[in-house]
Amino acid sequence: MSGGNNSRVVRIALTVVPVLLFFVAFLQQRIDVSAAPLQNQKPELVLRSGPMLKKLGLGYDPLLADIYWTRAVQYFGERVGVRGTTFELLGPLLDITTTLDPQLMVAYRFGAIFLAEPAPAGAGRPDLAVDLVKKGIAANPEQWRLYGDLGLIYSIHLKNYQKAAEAYLEGSKNPNAQIYMKAMAATVAQKGDSLETSKLIWGEVYGSTQDPLIKKRAMQHLESLDAEIDLKGLNKSSESYWAKFGRYPATIQELRDAGLVQGKLEDPEGYPYAMGAYGVPELNPQSPIVMEPDQKLPTQNH
Amino acid sequence: MSTIPGIVAVNTFREAVRDRVLYNLIFFALLMMGAAVLVGGVSIGIERDVIVNLGLTAVSVFGIVMAIFIGVGLVHKEIEKRTLYSLLAKPVQRWQFLVGKFGGLVLTLAVNTALMTVGLAAALFYVTRKFERSDATIVVAIYFILLELALITSLTLLFSCFTTPMLSTLYTLGIYIAGVFAPNIRDIGIVTTSPAAKWMATAVYYVLPNFHNFNVMAAAAHQETIPFALIWQNTLYAALYIAVVLLAASAIFSNRDLK
Repeated sequence: MSGGNNSRVVRIALTVVPVLLFFVAFLQQRIDVSAAPLQNQKPELVLRSGPMLKKLGLGYDPLLADIYWTRAVQYFGERVGVRGTTFELLGPLLDITTTLDPQLMVAYRFGAIFLAEPAPAGAGRPDLAVDLVKKGIAANPEQWRLYGDLGLIYSIHLKNYQKAAEAYLEGSKNPNAQIYMKAMAATVAQKGDSLETSKLIWGEVYGSTQDPLIKKRAMQHLESLDAEIDLKGLNKSSESYWAKFGRYPATIQELRDAGLVQGKLEDPEGYPYAMGAYGVPELNPQSPIVMEPDQKLPTQNH
Repeated sequence: MSTIPGIVAVNTFREAVRDRVLYNLIFFALLMMGAAVLVGGVSIGIERDVIVNLGLTAVSVFGIVMAIFIGVGLVHKEIEKRTLYSLLAKPVQRWQFLVGKFGGLVLTLAVNTALMTVGLAAALFYVTRKFERSDATIVVAIYFILLELALITSLTLLFSCFTTPMLSTLYTLGIYIAGVFAPNIRDIGIVTTSPAAKWMATAVYYVLPNFHNFNVMAAAAHQETIPFALIWQNTLYAALYIAVVLLAASAIFSNRDLK
């Protein structure tokens, strides 16, 4: 075979390969579109047994745990905020992750928040969240923050202030626990259902986590609680207006003109509050703050 | 001239048969028979799914192992046994030799896969006692596996043109694993805020051979229809990518000093 033939092959390859690669990339875009219906299949978790996976992991279970943890976050990230979505695999994924690596604290804390949060922000399964955090406490009794997470689930989601106070108190017995745990136990026991207590709890979550998703969710709660407190105050002023003038104010400005409110009447995102029907103040429609149904004021005062 | 790759291909296939490569079918048959008998007792309600998933996985794994371990030796063996020199002394160009070797191994894999398909069909019939129209999806899934195997074969040939069989195996496996996770690489680009990382992830996604394209096992198990567009697009994708790899392999092999 001649050297001329060899160099011709090289020349052809150098010319044709980039062109073909371009077509390959183009074709891949078409394949992504064609295969999309097949990707919409219900996701499956074939192996649900953490202990079995631990055995199959052949000693690489921490790496497997990382993979499952990544999958859990991806699974959650793809669905969070999507109307009508469910998170039925979030519990099993976190359970497997923490079985493979019982010291993976971030998974317990993530589960405590997002398993318990109502849809579409979370799975709406505070029972599973309690199980997961208790599993974490059993494996890591020195991790006092997990008691705080347990207190949060009992207090915020299950409204069981007695159990929440017990969890905070138990956590406060750890010599490394911060002093607020003891204070929180007393506060939750006395006035667990107050907005101020909820703010304290979410404030602690916000301050103690590094996870951006948890941090963001805690901030959303703090902002919606601030807005709820503001709106309740405005509603009281609206009632005073009614008592004084025999009708409800049509705008927030009317409250201001009557000297019943003052200052910047904006939500934590900087959007001015609006006045709804029957003098019920509400969030500005443009505001990104989302309030849970139980946070909203009744639509009619009288 | 154009029949030379064909002659090399047929000889490669004969050599593979002589080397008892198809003996892996015995293991496959035992696996499918065992699964068919056991599945009724342990997989209540999903017997068909288990047989299809297990069968397709076995077809894929057996095929990949064959493609890689036979593929990496195709060129190396000819050099070691010095048969390549006598072959190239004849009017055979190096690219024809490579294309012939590729065709021979793909033919071997196709025969092997066809026989395994018969075994899978027998196990499926044993479990379900009938064939349904929707079972055609399994044939499509096997066709996609064959495309995947052809692509892997071309990659093993590419690497074996310039490195040792051991390193060729590692490189091919590495590319295969990366290709299976191609959508996850693309997702990194979606999630990241760094434009450079986004660009890099997108570029890697399109340049890597996307083996994820060929995986429709779950759809086959659930008797879902595979869009016809996906069949021709995957066929064209595999053909184009194989052309790219074989051209690169030919260019490298043509310039290799065989002395």
